[in-house]
Amino acid sequence: MGRDLRVAVIGLGKMGLLHASILNSMPNIEVSALCEKSFLIRRIFRKIFKEARLVGDVEKLSSSEIDAVYVTTPIPSHYFITKDVYLRGLTNNVFVEKTLGANLPQSKELCEIARNCGGINMVGYMKRFSVTFKKTKALLDQSVLGHLKSFETYAYSSDFASENTLSRSASRGGVLCDLGSHIVDLALWFFGDLDVESAVMESTNGSGSEDTADFKVRSLDGLEGHFEVSWCKRGYRLPEFGLTIRGSNGTVRADGDKVELDLEDEKTRWFKQDLDDKVRFLLGDPEYCREDEYFTNSISTNIRPEPSFDSATKVDHVIDQVRRRATADG
Amino acid sequence: MADRTWILLVGDNPFHGVSHLSQERARGRGDEITLPEKASHLVRTALDNGADGFMFSVSDTTLSILELISGSENDELPDLYPLVPYAYEYVRLATQAGGISGLGRRFARQLLSSRNFKAIAMGFRGVVAMDPATLLKAYLGYEIQRIRSSTGGKGSIRSILLHEMIADMALALNLDWLFKSYIDFLKELKIRPGIETRNFAYLVDRFQEWDLDPKGVLIAAPFNRLGFQMNPSREPCERALEQLGARNVIAMSVLASGYLDPAEAAEYIKKLPNLTGIVVGVSKEKHASETFRLFREELI
Repeated sequence: MGRDLRVAVIGLGKMGLLHASILNSMPNIEVSALCEKSFLIRRIFRKIFKEARLVGDVEKLSSSEIDAVYVTTPIPSHYFITKDVYLRGLTNNVFVEKTLGANLPQSKELCEIARNCGGINMVGYMKRFSVTFKKTKALLDQSVLGHLKSFETYAYSSDFASENTLSRSASRGGVLCDLGSHIVDLALWFFGDLDVESAVMESTNGSGSEDTADFKVRSLDGLEGHFEVSWCKRGYRLPEFGLTIRGSNGTVRADGDKVELDLEDEKTRWFKQDLDDKVRFLLGDPEYCREDEYFTNSISTNIRPEPSFDSATKVDHVIDQVRRRATADG
Repeated sequence: MADRTWILLVGDNPFHGVSHLSQERARGRGDEITLPEKASHLVRTALDNGADGFMFSVSDTTLSILELISGSENDELPDLYPLVPYAYEYVRLATQAGGISGLGRRFARQLLSSRNFKAIAMGFRGVVAMDPATLLKAYLGYEIQRIRSSTGGKGSIRSILLHEMIADMALALNLDWLFKSYIDFLKELKIRPGIETRNFAYLVDRFQEWDLDPKGVLIAAPFNRLGFQMNPSREPCERALEQLGARNVIAMSVLASGYLDPAEAAEYIKKLPNLTGIVVGVSKEKHASETFRLFREELI
């Protein structure tokens, strides 16, 4: 592509600001338009993004020439905004922060629309761009564990660990979408399709918000998995994700900091310091920079990126199964 | 290099329950290290063994540590190098308060209850004009007063450093005016402006492009033999350091977050030009004494 790629970011919360900043630091990318419904935030950001067009709703982006859109609004609005972007023909290159929709029917419909419109689509499951989880995937692809038997995985944060913060938790779309979706995506990436066998979900403050989830899955070839998700866990200042995978040859333990391979005659540990965790521009975690470079490169090269809307819909399918199973299991 | 003077600073990451090597390790240390009594003892031990000052993100925890350190009449307060704002805490608060708007409302309440009338007036002007630079100044005024209240006016604020999350975002967004306004404001207050970054080479490039002289600014950035957190890689950061033309950089992550031992870390650090100091976090009394003693012997 000879000219800069013109990107619009919809939603200037912390994720929108993060992506807009990283994109702005990239060569050949122009953050040309921003959409934020809050008048106050628009007024502040007008002084920060002096060269971008700043509008209050998606409709007003129609007159802008845009090559790609980032949807970084809260999860409950992803479906409506993403659909609007496609149906108004703003662009057919769309990045949506996870999860794609707030439920499975929404995600399926967005997949269908995206398929009809063509273009490049991707969902922000950034843990796939972590050096430790990439290393884990490489080890699995090399079959170092032999026949896979079981895995356990967790996603914890202390975001709502104190009682006076729980009333806010519901507005985030529930812990399954907010935190759990990352480890569901990693598990699908590592192991393929999964069926939920049992599930328990709890609302810690009793208001019906999803605050913890515990569920068991099985893959087509019999691999058993156990997920634990909570944003009420003490001691997790930042969200943490990890998993232990057991196979006939040994075990792999991985989290955001390290990978430990424990085979019968060999133990190896890689910290992220060992795995070249550097990026062109670091803001937040290195994963975000890699993710944005990958998505924009996919547009330039017209190569389908992963995780696509289709892959993200599989995550929503598992989340849907967990919710149904938790209701059925009572 | 033996004639160089070095500033050796104690960092506060362990006191916030942070380990960049492994969060599992941070949790393994338990809660004791996050207690101000334990943390202030570690800071004192480091100071007794060669550290000159304390670099810290301004938070309730670190302000309590400062109160304890400054409580003893016999002890001299170390030089202070606060980092503002404590961005990770504000990201967490934004999550809990319902996003950036909720966070703004929360900060407004804190500012009003601080009775810091100068900062309140500036904050009011910033809100009316919706001017980020004025809001930043109001925020700085608020934090400086919080630090001085905690130390009872003792000790010297050698520099106030803009936290990496804000500094790197401002770099990415080409906000030269924000850096200029920040630098000028702190110079007016007779405090050395500082900037923490994990994109050191990018910062040096941008400052040149903006015709901003970095000489009067203290810069904190990662430097270690592994190149850990040196973005985009070790070589461009080393080249940028050489080009700087002033000895005004504090090296962070010198131990690559506990991956390197202090002796090999010092071996690399002492060969680099334009470094004026290092900052190292300590989580045990033994580390606090041995690490700073070793760095003092190796570097000075």
